[in-house]
Amino acid sequence: MEFSLQDSIIKILGSTGFVALGWGHLVMILVALTLLYLAIWKKFEPLLLLPIGFGCLLANLPHSMMMSTDEGGLFNFFYFGVRHEILPPLIFLGVGALTDFGPLLANPITLLLGAAAQIGIYTTLIGAVFLGFDLKEAGAIGIIGGADGPTSIFLAAKLAPHLLGPIAVAAYSYMSLVPLIQPPIMRWLTTSEERKIKMEQLKPISQTVKILFPVIATILCVLLLPGVAPLLGMLMLGNLFRESGVTARLHETSETHLINIVTILLALAVGSSMTAASFLTAETIKIIVLGLLAFIMATAGGLIFGKILCKLSGGKINPLIGSAGVSAVPMAARVSQKVGSEEDPSNFLLMHAMGPNVAGVIGSAVAAGVFLSLFGDVGMAGHAALEPVPAALASIIKP
Amino acid sequence: MSLVISSVYISILAMGVIFVVLGTLIGLIKILDRCFPYQAPSPAPPARSSAGADPEGEHLAVIHAVLSRHLGTDPSQIHLTRVSSP
Repeated sequence: MEFSLQDSIIKILGSTGFVALGWGHLVMILVALTLLYLAIWKKFEPLLLLPIGFGCLLANLPHSMMMSTDEGGLFNFFYFGVRHEILPPLIFLGVGALTDFGPLLANPITLLLGAAAQIGIYTTLIGAVFLGFDLKEAGAIGIIGGADGPTSIFLAAKLAPHLLGPIAVAAYSYMSLVPLIQPPIMRWLTTSEERKIKMEQLKPISQTVKILFPVIATILCVLLLPGVAPLLGMLMLGNLFRESGVTARLHETSETHLINIVTILLALAVGSSMTAASFLTAETIKIIVLGLLAFIMATAGGLIFGKILCKLSGGKINPLIGSAGVSAVPMAARVSQKVGSEEDPSNFLLMHAMGPNVAGVIGSAVAAGVFLSLFGDVGMAGHAALEPVPAALASIIKP
Repeated sequence: MSLVISSVYISILAMGVIFVVLGTLIGLIKILDRCFPYQAPSPAPPARSSAGADPEGEHLAVIHAVLSRHLGTDPSQIHLTRVSSP
């Protein structure tokens, strides 16, 4: 094989990224740098936006082989964990290990606030269909209203993988903006008197209940909605690690090292899916707008249901805790505390708001399960358990 | 337009399912709480002073230790059946 100096120089120059650099790459590099700026200097969800931004940066440097679609590339392997639903459930394992279900168990009625806040998902679903998305895409966009990053990624990877990048960025960006988005809505929808309501101290819960709840809730929820198993099952397992008292090492690993490692892999994989072809589209702008609508409607839904519970309970429930039903643990609960203490500095709502906050996590996972039951491959077809059911009954059950 | 109407139906149905599932969890929590109510931990028993210790038990332990040492056997091999004072 012969080399001439001129050919070698031309070959080396031809192999650099500069030659292949297009306007799309430049815009995406700018997007990546913006995400890094928001993460580092504005402290917007830095644990997620920093690796997402850097993953996006690497993916958009030509010839780097760092796009999620580059077969054999590093991020292609990381993306495997997103495509095959491995990483988001592992994040849920860590969330379960980190979260105390005590406030929820002490005041179970707050589960309804977590349910009501899911209205943001469905108003966004309708909005997305109105803007031209099909039902699967609309479902994946709507789940942004669950204010739960791993759930959004989990569902987008299943129902609309081509929209994963914008959905993940919208979900995490708006989650970081919860302290800015929610307070004006909370003040607008509640009266000063309602914001001053002091709630009774939460009753203590026995350790047996804390241990049995994740086990029985898993059995019930997974039987009702099998699609919810990866997310809710891992959430409950993490919580069982925490409450059982016999798995201290597993609990510690889940709430620290495991969740940190998985966060890095997940965020880089999502960032690597943000290429010009998938991100610089009109759909991205629509998703960003719909994401904001989802958060606003979810907050409003929780607050309005909080007002209803306030009336029904004879003024014992402060409606401000309803806004924590959007998930975004524990930031949304902190916002409830902050807005409440602005009205009355001696009012402590944080622990009360943790109930709907945890309910929001369960609620958004259930909402994802409903979407999977409706649009995913979870269902009756091919289910071994259906075999003994008479054909006539099966034909009635089958959609 | 039919797609928008479908999305409205889906939304109503899905919100209903969410309320049913989370309502079921409320019922579960209430049942669990009723079956296993919280019980405050009982206060720790006061430490027994040496003056209040069972003298007979102490005597038995001492006799046990002395015998096992004297006989050169394992203490678990010795079973005291009766101790009587003169």
